[in-house]
Amino acid sequence: MVTTLTSPSTPTWENVFSTASGAVYQCDAENCWYIDFAGKVAGFNYRCLQKLKKAIYHIDIEAKLLDTSKDPDVEIIFICACDHTYILTLLQVIALKELLQGTFVMLELNSILHDKLYRTAC
Amino acid sequence: MKDLIRIKSLLSTEVEELLNQQVKKEAMSSSIYLAMASWCNRNGFDYSSEYFFKQAEEERQHQLKFYKYILDMGGNAISPDVTGIKQEYNSFREVFEDALDQEISVTQSIKKIYARCLSEQDYITNEFLNWFLKEQREEEYKARRALELFEVIGEEGTGHWEIDRHVGKIKYESDAS
Repeated sequence: MVTTLTSPSTPTWENVFSTASGAVYQCDAENCWYIDFAGKVAGFNYRCLQKLKKAIYHIDIEAKLLDTSKDPDVEIIFICACDHTYILTLLQVIALKELLQGTFVMLELNSILHDKLYRTAC
Repeated sequence: MKDLIRIKSLLSTEVEELLNQQVKKEAMSSSIYLAMASWCNRNGFDYSSEYFFKQAEEERQHQLKFYKYILDMGGNAISPDVTGIKQEYNSFREVFEDALDQEISVTQSIKKIYARCLSEQDYITNEFLNWFLKEQREEEYKARRALELFEVIGEEGTGHWEIDRHVGKIKYESDAS
Protein backbone atom coordinates (compact mmCIF):
# COMPACT_ATOMS: atom_id res chain seq x y z
CA MET A 1 0.00 0.00 0.00
CA VAL A 2 1.32 3.45 -0.86
CA THR A 3 1.43 5.05 2.51
CA THR A 4 3.37 8.22 2.68
CA LEU A 5 2.98 10.14 -0.52
CA THR A 6 0.13 12.03 -2.02
CA SER A 7 0.18 12.33 -5.74
CA PRO A 8 1.94 14.23 -7.20
CA SER A 9 4.45 14.02 -4.39
CA THR A 10 7.00 16.66 -5.23
CA PRO A 11 7.08 18.61 -8.49
CA THR A 12 10.51 17.29 -9.41
CA TRP A 13 9.63 13.66 -8.74
CA GLU A 14 8.31 11.64 -11.62
CA ASN A 15 6.47 8.43 -11.12
CA VAL A 16 8.38 5.61 -12.79
CA PHE A 17 6.18 2.69 -11.83
CA SER A 18 3.50 1.94 -9.26
CA THR A 19 1.68 -1.08 -8.02
CA ALA A 20 -0.95 -1.50 -5.33
CA SER A 21 1.80 -2.00 -2.78
CA GLY A 22 4.28 0.74 -3.65
CA ALA A 23 5.75 3.19 -6.10
CA VAL A 24 9.08 4.32 -7.47
CA TYR A 25 9.81 7.94 -8.33
CA GLN A 26 12.75 9.46 -10.15
CA CYS A 27 14.21 12.75 -9.00
CA ASP A 28 16.14 14.36 -11.87
CA ALA A 29 17.43 17.17 -9.65
CA GLU A 30 19.14 14.73 -7.27
CA ASN A 31 19.88 12.02 -9.85
CA CYS A 32 18.29 9.36 -7.70
CA TRP A 33 15.16 7.31 -7.17
CA TYR A 34 12.74 7.24 -4.25
CA ILE A 35 11.06 3.99 -3.38
CA ASP A 36 7.81 4.23 -1.49
CA PHE A 37 7.38 0.78 -0.04
CA ALA A 38 6.64 -0.97 3.26
CA GLY A 39 5.66 2.22 5.01
CA LYS A 40 8.66 4.37 4.17
CA VAL A 41 10.11 6.43 1.37
CA ALA A 42 13.77 5.69 0.79
CA GLY A 43 16.19 7.37 -1.61
CA PHE A 44 18.54 5.25 -3.73
CA ASN A 45 21.33 6.35 -6.01
CA TYR A 46 22.25 4.34 -9.09
CA ARG A 47 24.67 2.00 -7.29
CA CYS A 48 22.32 1.30 -4.39
CA LEU A 49 19.35 0.71 -6.68
CA GLN A 50 21.38 -1.85 -8.61
CA LYS A 51 22.39 -3.52 -5.33
CA LEU A 52 18.79 -3.60 -4.14
CA LYS A 53 17.71 -5.14 -7.44
CA LYS A 54 20.38 -7.80 -7.14
CA ALA A 55 19.50 -8.56 -3.54
CA ILE A 56 15.79 -8.92 -4.28
CA TYR A 57 16.20 -10.84 -7.53
CA HIS A 58 18.50 -13.35 -5.85
CA ILE A 59 15.95 -14.40 -3.24
CA ASP A 60 14.69 -17.85 -4.19
CA ILE A 61 10.98 -17.24 -3.63
CA GLU A 62 9.94 -20.74 -4.72
CA ALA A 63 12.33 -22.37 -2.25
CA LYS A 64 11.03 -20.11 0.52
CA LEU A 65 7.42 -21.01 -0.30
CA LEU A 66 8.22 -24.71 -0.14
CA ASP A 67 10.22 -24.35 3.05
CA THR A 68 8.31 -26.12 5.81
CA SER A 69 10.70 -25.31 8.63
CA LYS A 70 9.59 -23.16 11.55
CA ASP A 71 11.96 -20.30 10.72
CA PRO A 72 10.30 -16.90 10.66
CA ASP A 73 9.04 -15.96 7.22
CA VAL A 74 11.13 -12.79 7.15
CA GLU A 75 13.87 -11.52 4.87
CA ILE A 76 16.32 -8.86 5.95
CA ILE A 77 17.48 -6.86 2.97
CA PHE A 78 20.65 -5.13 3.97
CA ILE A 79 22.53 -3.23 1.32
CA CYS A 80 26.15 -2.36 1.91
CA ALA A 81 26.91 1.40 1.87
CA CYS A 82 23.24 2.24 1.69
CA ASP A 83 21.24 3.99 4.40
CA HIS A 84 18.21 1.76 4.18
CA THR A 85 17.39 -1.73 5.32
CA TYR A 86 14.19 -3.61 4.62
CA ILE A 87 12.70 -6.28 6.83
CA LEU A 88 10.12 -7.96 4.66
CA THR A 89 7.75 -10.87 4.77
CA LEU A 90 7.74 -13.18 1.79
CA LEU A 91 4.63 -11.53 0.36
CA GLN A 92 6.34 -8.16 0.61
CA VAL A 93 9.41 -9.59 -1.15
CA ILE A 94 7.16 -10.72 -4.01
CA ALA A 95 5.54 -7.27 -4.11
CA LEU A 96 8.89 -5.46 -4.08
CA LYS A 97 10.22 -7.71 -6.81
CA GLU A 98 7.18 -6.92 -8.93
CA LEU A 99 7.69 -3.21 -8.27
CA LEU A 100 11.38 -3.34 -9.21
CA GLN A 101 10.76 -5.43 -12.31
CA GLY A 102 8.23 -2.88 -13.53
CA THR A 103 10.58 -0.05 -12.65
CA PHE A 104 13.48 -1.45 -14.62
CA VAL A 105 11.26 -2.13 -17.62
CA MET A 106 10.11 1.50 -17.50
CA LEU A 107 13.67 2.78 -17.11
CA GLU A 108 14.72 0.71 -20.10
CA LEU A 109 11.78 2.05 -22.07
CA ASN A 110 12.82 5.57 -21.07
CA SER A 111 16.31 4.80 -22.33
CA ILE A 112 14.94 3.54 -25.67
CA LEU A 113 12.78 6.66 -26.01
CA HIS A 114 15.77 8.88 -25.31
CA ASP A 115 17.77 7.03 -27.96
CA LYS A 116 15.02 7.25 -30.57
CA LEU A 117 13.68 10.71 -29.87
CA TYR A 118 16.69 12.76 -28.87
CA ARG A 119 20.01 11.06 -29.45
CA THR A 120 19.43 9.92 -33.02
CA ALA A 121 16.92 12.58 -34.02
CA CYS A 122 19.53 15.06 -35.27
CA MET B 1 12.61 12.31 -17.25
CA LYS B 2 16.39 11.96 -17.49
CA ASP B 3 17.89 8.66 -18.65
CA LEU B 4 19.80 8.24 -15.38
CA ILE B 5 20.97 4.69 -15.95
CA ARG B 6 22.55 5.54 -19.30
CA ILE B 7 24.16 8.62 -17.78
CA LYS B 8 25.82 6.44 -15.14
CA SER B 9 26.92 3.51 -17.28
CA LEU B 10 27.48 2.59 -20.90
CA LEU B 11 26.88 -1.07 -20.17
CA SER B 12 23.50 -2.72 -19.87
CA THR B 13 22.96 -4.84 -16.76
CA GLU B 14 23.10 -8.01 -18.84
CA VAL B 15 26.35 -7.14 -20.60
CA GLU B 16 27.89 -6.03 -17.31
CA GLU B 17 26.97 -9.37 -15.75
CA LEU B 18 28.41 -11.29 -18.70
CA LEU B 19 31.63 -9.27 -18.52
CA ASN B 20 31.89 -9.98 -14.79
CA GLN B 21 31.40 -13.67 -15.51
CA GLN B 22 34.24 -13.39 -18.00
CA VAL B 23 36.44 -11.77 -15.35
CA LYS B 24 35.82 -14.85 -13.23
CA LYS B 25 36.49 -17.18 -16.13
CA GLU B 26 39.82 -15.53 -16.88
CA ALA B 27 40.75 -15.69 -13.19
CA MET B 28 39.85 -19.40 -13.17
CA SER B 29 41.95 -19.93 -16.30
CA SER B 30 44.90 -18.22 -14.70
CA SER B 31 44.60 -20.42 -11.60
CA ILE B 32 44.16 -23.58 -13.67
CA TYR B 33 47.34 -22.76 -15.61
CA LEU B 34 49.18 -22.17 -12.35
CA ALA B 35 48.09 -25.60 -11.12
CA MET B 36 49.27 -27.10 -14.42
CA ALA B 37 52.62 -25.30 -14.07
CA SER B 38 52.98 -26.79 -10.60
CA TRP B 39 52.09 -30.32 -11.78
CA CYS B 40 54.52 -30.13 -14.70
CA ASN B 41 57.28 -28.82 -12.49
CA ARG B 42 56.74 -31.55 -9.90
CA ASN B 43 56.88 -34.19 -12.60
CA GLY B 44 60.06 -32.95 -14.26
CA PHE B 45 58.54 -31.16 -17.25
CA ASP B 46 60.29 -27.85 -16.75
CA TYR B 47 59.70 -26.34 -20.18
CA SER B 48 55.98 -27.08 -19.99
CA SER B 49 55.91 -25.65 -16.48
CA GLU B 50 57.44 -22.43 -17.77
CA TYR B 51 54.93 -22.39 -20.65
CA PHE B 52 52.02 -22.66 -18.20
CA PHE B 53 53.46 -19.96 -15.93
CA LYS B 54 53.45 -17.64 -18.95
CA GLN B 55 49.91 -18.68 -19.85
CA ALA B 56 48.77 -18.01 -16.26
CA GLU B 57 50.23 -14.51 -16.44
CA GLU B 58 48.53 -13.84 -19.78
CA GLU B 59 45.15 -14.94 -18.43
CA ARG B 60 45.66 -12.64 -15.46
CA GLN B 61 46.28 -9.75 -17.87
CA HIS B 62 43.08 -10.66 -19.75
CA GLN B 63 41.17 -10.64 -16.47
CA LEU B 64 42.46 -7.16 -15.65
CA LYS B 65 41.60 -5.91 -19.13
CA PHE B 66 37.96 -6.95 -18.66
CA TYR B 67 37.96 -5.63 -15.11
CA LYS B 68 39.22 -2.19 -16.08
CA TYR B 69 36.90 -1.97 -19.06
CA ILE B 70 33.86 -2.56 -16.81
CA LEU B 71 35.06 0.17 -14.46
CA ASP B 72 35.95 2.60 -17.25
CA MET B 73 32.45 2.25 -18.70
CA GLY B 74 30.80 3.02 -15.37
CA GLY B 75 30.00 -0.52 -14.34
CA ASN B 76 30.66 -2.45 -11.17
CA ALA B 77 33.63 -4.80 -11.54
CA ILE B 78 33.43 -7.71 -9.12
CA SER B 79 36.55 -9.41 -7.81
CA PRO B 80 35.78 -13.10 -8.29
CA ASP B 81 35.95 -16.10 -5.97
CA VAL B 82 38.16 -18.74 -7.48
CA THR B 83 37.77 -22.17 -5.93
CA GLY B 84 37.81 -25.84 -6.87
CA ILE B 85 40.90 -25.76 -9.07
CA LYS B 86 42.02 -29.21 -10.20
CA GLN B 87 45.49 -29.83 -8.81
CA GLU B 88 46.29 -33.35 -9.95
CA TYR B 89 46.43 -34.86 -13.42
CA ASN B 90 46.57 -38.48 -14.45
CA SER B 91 49.03 -37.95 -17.27
CA PHE B 92 51.17 -35.39 -19.08
CA ARG B 93 48.78 -35.55 -22.01
CA GLU B 94 45.74 -34.88 -19.83
CA VAL B 95 47.24 -31.53 -18.81
CA PHE B 96 47.26 -30.36 -22.42
CA GLU B 97 43.84 -31.82 -23.16
CA ASP B 98 42.45 -29.80 -20.26
CA ALA B 99 44.32 -26.70 -21.44
CA LEU B 100 42.68 -26.91 -24.87
CA ASP B 101 39.26 -27.50 -23.29
CA GLN B 102 39.79 -24.41 -21.19
CA GLU B 103 40.65 -22.26 -24.21
CA ILE B 104 37.67 -23.55 -26.18
CA SER B 105 35.39 -22.69 -23.28
CA VAL B 106 36.87 -19.16 -23.10
CA THR B 107 36.31 -18.70 -26.85
CA GLN B 108 32.71 -19.83 -26.47
CA SER B 109 32.02 -17.44 -23.64
CA ILE B 110 33.54 -14.48 -25.51
CA LYS B 111 31.36 -15.38 -28.50
CA LYS B 112 28.35 -15.36 -26.19
CA ILE B 113 29.14 -11.84 -24.96
CA TYR B 114 29.78 -10.70 -28.52
CA ALA B 115 26.39 -12.02 -29.64
CA ARG B 116 24.64 -10.30 -26.74
CA CYS B 117 26.36 -6.98 -27.55
CA LEU B 118 25.37 -7.27 -31.19
CA SER B 119 21.74 -7.84 -30.23
CA GLU B 120 21.88 -4.72 -28.04
CA GLN B 121 23.84 -2.74 -30.65
CA ASP B 122 26.57 -2.23 -28.07
CA TYR B 123 29.25 -1.79 -30.74
CA ILE B 124 31.67 -0.23 -28.28
CA THR B 125 31.92 -3.45 -26.26
CA ASN B 126 32.05 -5.41 -29.52
CA GLU B 127 35.05 -3.36 -30.57
CA PHE B 128 36.65 -4.01 -27.18
CA LEU B 129 36.04 -7.75 -27.60
CA ASN B 130 37.70 -7.85 -31.03
CA TRP B 131 41.10 -7.92 -29.36
CA PHE B 132 40.07 -11.00 -27.36
CA LEU B 133 38.70 -12.78 -30.40
CA LYS B 134 42.04 -12.37 -32.12
CA GLU B 135 43.84 -13.44 -28.97
CA GLN B 136 41.77 -16.62 -28.83
CA ARG B 137 43.05 -17.60 -32.28
CA GLU B 138 46.56 -17.66 -30.83
CA GLU B 139 45.53 -19.32 -27.58
CA GLU B 140 43.64 -22.13 -29.29
CA TYR B 141 46.42 -22.58 -31.83
CA LYS B 142 49.03 -22.98 -29.11
CA ALA B 143 46.92 -25.39 -27.06
CA ARG B 144 46.08 -27.45 -30.16
CA ARG B 145 49.69 -27.49 -31.32
CA ALA B 146 50.86 -28.72 -27.91
CA LEU B 147 48.43 -31.61 -28.10
CA GLU B 148 49.51 -32.30 -31.66
CA LEU B 149 53.06 -32.86 -30.43
CA PHE B 150 51.84 -35.98 -28.62
CA GLU B 151 50.77 -37.37 -32.00
CA VAL B 152 53.79 -36.39 -34.07
CA ILE B 153 56.48 -37.19 -31.50
CA GLY B 154 54.75 -40.07 -29.74
CA GLU B 155 54.80 -40.86 -26.05
CA GLU B 156 57.08 -43.88 -26.16
CA GLY B 157 60.68 -43.88 -25.00
CA THR B 158 61.98 -40.36 -24.59
CA GLY B 159 58.80 -38.96 -26.17
CA HIS B 160 57.68 -37.01 -23.10
CA TRP B 161 61.09 -35.42 -22.76
CA GLU B 162 61.04 -34.43 -26.44
CA ILE B 163 57.46 -33.09 -26.20
CA ASP B 164 58.36 -31.04 -23.13
CA ARG B 165 61.29 -29.42 -24.96
CA HIS B 166 59.11 -28.52 -27.93
CA VAL B 167 56.24 -27.13 -25.85
CA GLY B 168 58.57 -24.36 -24.72
CA LYS B 169 59.13 -23.35 -28.36
CA ILE B 170 55.49 -23.11 -29.47
CA LYS B 171 54.77 -19.75 -31.09
CA TYR B 172 51.96 -18.45 -33.24
CA GLU B 173 53.66 -16.73 -36.15
CA SER B 174 51.30 -17.52 -38.98
CA ASP B 175 50.76 -15.15 -41.91
CA ALA B 176 47.15 -15.04 -40.76
CA SER B 177 48.09 -13.60 -37.39
